[in-house]
Amino acid sequence: MSHIKIKKGHDIKISGIPESDISTGSTASDLALLPSDFKGVKPKLMVKVGDSVKIGSPLFLDKLNPEVRWASPGSGIIKNIKYGPRRVIEKIEVELDKDQQSLDFKSHSIDDISNLSKDEVLDVILGANLFPHFRQRPFNTIPDPKIKPRDIFISGINTAPLAVDIEIAMADDIENFQAGINAIEKLTDGKVYLTNKVDSRLSDVENVNINTIEGPHPAGNVSIQIHHISHLKPSELIWTIAPQDVAMIGKLFLKGVYDPSKIITVAGPGVKNPTHLRVKTGYPVESILRSNLSSEDVRLISGDVLTGRECTLEDYMSFYDSSISVISNEINREFIGMLNPGSSSSRYSLTPVFVSLSNILFPFTSSQNGNHRAVVPINSWERVLPMDILPNELYRSILAEDIEEMESLGLFECDDEDFALCSFACPSKTDVSGVIRKGLDMLQAEV
Amino acid sequence: MKWLLDYLLKIKPNFDEGQKLNWLYPLYEATETILFSTDAKTKSAPHIRDSIDIKRVMILVVVALIPCYVFGAINIGYQNALSFGLERTWVENLIFGAKTIIPIIVVTFVAGAFWEILFAIVRKHEISEGFLVTCALIPLTMPPSIPLWQLFIATSFGIVIGKEIFGGVGMNIFNPALTARCFIFFSYPSKISGDMVWLVGPDGYSGATALSVPASTNSADAVSLLDGITQFDYSWINLASGWIPGSIGETNKFIIFLAAVALMIMKLISWRVILGGVSGLFAMSYIGTLIAPFSDNSMLSIPPHYHLVMGSFAFGLTFMATEPVTGSHTDTGRLVYGFFVGVLTVIIRSINPAYPEGVMLAILLMNAFASLIDYFVVKVNIRKRMARYA
Repeated sequence: MSHIKIKKGHDIKISGIPESDISTGSTASDLALLPSDFKGVKPKLMVKVGDSVKIGSPLFLDKLNPEVRWASPGSGIIKNIKYGPRRVIEKIEVELDKDQQSLDFKSHSIDDISNLSKDEVLDVILGANLFPHFRQRPFNTIPDPKIKPRDIFISGINTAPLAVDIEIAMADDIENFQAGINAIEKLTDGKVYLTNKVDSRLSDVENVNINTIEGPHPAGNVSIQIHHISHLKPSELIWTIAPQDVAMIGKLFLKGVYDPSKIITVAGPGVKNPTHLRVKTGYPVESILRSNLSSEDVRLISGDVLTGRECTLEDYMSFYDSSISVISNEINREFIGMLNPGSSSSRYSLTPVFVSLSNILFPFTSSQNGNHRAVVPINSWERVLPMDILPNELYRSILAEDIEEMESLGLFECDDEDFALCSFACPSKTDVSGVIRKGLDMLQAEV
Repeated sequence: MKWLLDYLLKIKPNFDEGQKLNWLYPLYEATETILFSTDAKTKSAPHIRDSIDIKRVMILVVVALIPCYVFGAINIGYQNALSFGLERTWVENLIFGAKTIIPIIVVTFVAGAFWEILFAIVRKHEISEGFLVTCALIPLTMPPSIPLWQLFIATSFGIVIGKEIFGGVGMNIFNPALTARCFIFFSYPSKISGDMVWLVGPDGYSGATALSVPASTNSADAVSLLDGITQFDYSWINLASGWIPGSIGETNKFIIFLAAVALMIMKLISWRVILGGVSGLFAMSYIGTLIAPFSDNSMLSIPPHYHLVMGSFAFGLTFMATEPVTGSHTDTGRLVYGFFVGVLTVIIRSINPAYPEGVMLAILLMNAFASLIDYFVVKVNIRKRMARYA
């Protein structure tokens, strides 16, 4: 066990921090899976409109890896399958019924789990169609279940703005979490790493290599933790999984059911009562936000404000997301803004170029706060990237489409979410994380 | 100011695609976003952005230059009074100096804005606020006696050749303000090489600059040579406080020091370049003083702390060498880059007999080498990573 101290980075002081109680949201009448949430997957439908499904029934599979299937998070009738351009499946909507039956799987005692073999564990997870909860590094895609990962990493701390507090979310789930750890430990010959904050509820979990981390965002990002604990080398694979999903897998083993509920946050300056909320995977945004918006002109984001996806009220939450963030769309155009000394009520900057007297939470809007310009490297990226990586050079190697160079500059170790703060802080309003994503796609196509 | 914004938004459609005034859109866009902060929204994640933008960065550098202008104006008046043997208050000096530098500023900005806007219209890109800094820097590097036509040509050269042909701010390899200065230096060398003082004084009035004093005498101690000059006060403290003839903005080192500290606190310039530059200057000039007893070159005997306040080193290092685009882009690179700016400045000053001042050439040379330094920093980074992978 070691303690990692992150210095670079920044915790954005955004207003609308969620309350620490978990409220039970209103029940929705439908939910959906969005195959577009899964990069690199070629979805093939296993249901058609009108079919009835139970919780856990497979909805679609990946043509490239047919044993990877996606479980329905609800029971009911397939209401609609929406196709996009070129017949891409955009969403599979399930109309929920009253009694919410789930498929029954075999239950295990906690000792049974320890006696299972790797293949048996994998069969249970694949059989319950829950494998997509694992993701791999590099590339942050769904791994191939046939290839053993070097290690499995679990980040037990969320540092993204307004993200779920894992301490709150896991409060009643420690037992399931332990069972989940015991199960997934079988999937690798290496170690299962859990990175917590100091004095976490999860510090007593066994069969896992626990490290502690402290510091600002992106300390909670898995890539940062992998980078500081055990570097990812180009030929290696690491699986990652979120703590709530580990508990869900634990529950699958202990109780023999798939429990699609999870705890999310509904937060941000545009939310009236920011809070933690218990919902199901794939819930409609409308049922989560119902009458909790503070104004009409807002931007809804599935995910956090740094990496999320813009969505509408009619939309559904993305599979991996565990927050809905809302920011205002109303932009105040200051007169001669560039000369204004600025105050902490109207300006927020990591580069201390504004007079700031108080330390308030800032009501961010969707304003870009400036126009796009060529990069002027005043070090704003380096200050928020706690990795031994040269962001400026990496960025340029991607623009130059120099695969070899981006590989040797360490692109394998990164994910676009690690560079979100770089985009945030850049005075030229450069889309750093977008370019990193582009680079990762190029690199993935190459290997 | 709502009415002004409303008016601007009302006339905006005239500049749209397909309208008669569309070719003037960059000018409209610049006016609107200078007067009112932009209404641009984020298009993709991250959905929120920091409040800093390039406009803010550039305008703050310009603001940091204002004290240099004020002191420069007072000093022009003071030197003028001195050369005519007049008694004047500092207000009168300021007014006299302002009369000299305002035409210089106007000509620079007219030339700069003309080329920037022309390129923005022809190349159909937004007007970049970077030219504000370039145009604010150029007058400060010029002698107060500069003929305005030379200034116009030099500014045009600096903006066009130094910046626009590369694609504008962010793409240039040489500092545009120094490119302009360099153009004048080599095109009109009789006026600007730095061996004779520049001041607005009587016809035929002349004298040696602090740097050319030791350059023109062999086998002597530089400090005692400087102390022996009676025409100007070349004591260390006076060189530092800037009551000497020189380019408009570079003489007062205390003001430049304060500006450098302010810009470093605001993290707009890199402390690494400054630290590297000062250490390079000290290291090389210390080596010079060690060699001095064995050489008849009196320039070598200038002690490090004199090098720091002589000529334009402080100004060049603070405002030119720290320019983020043309300098090194990596942290380690910035230290090395700054160090060699300091070293080369002393080498050009001391060993090159043709140019008493070397900071401009040192920075331009290092601009050219900046990417090479970065290349090696990147190689080291890659080698470290490969060692980890192995």
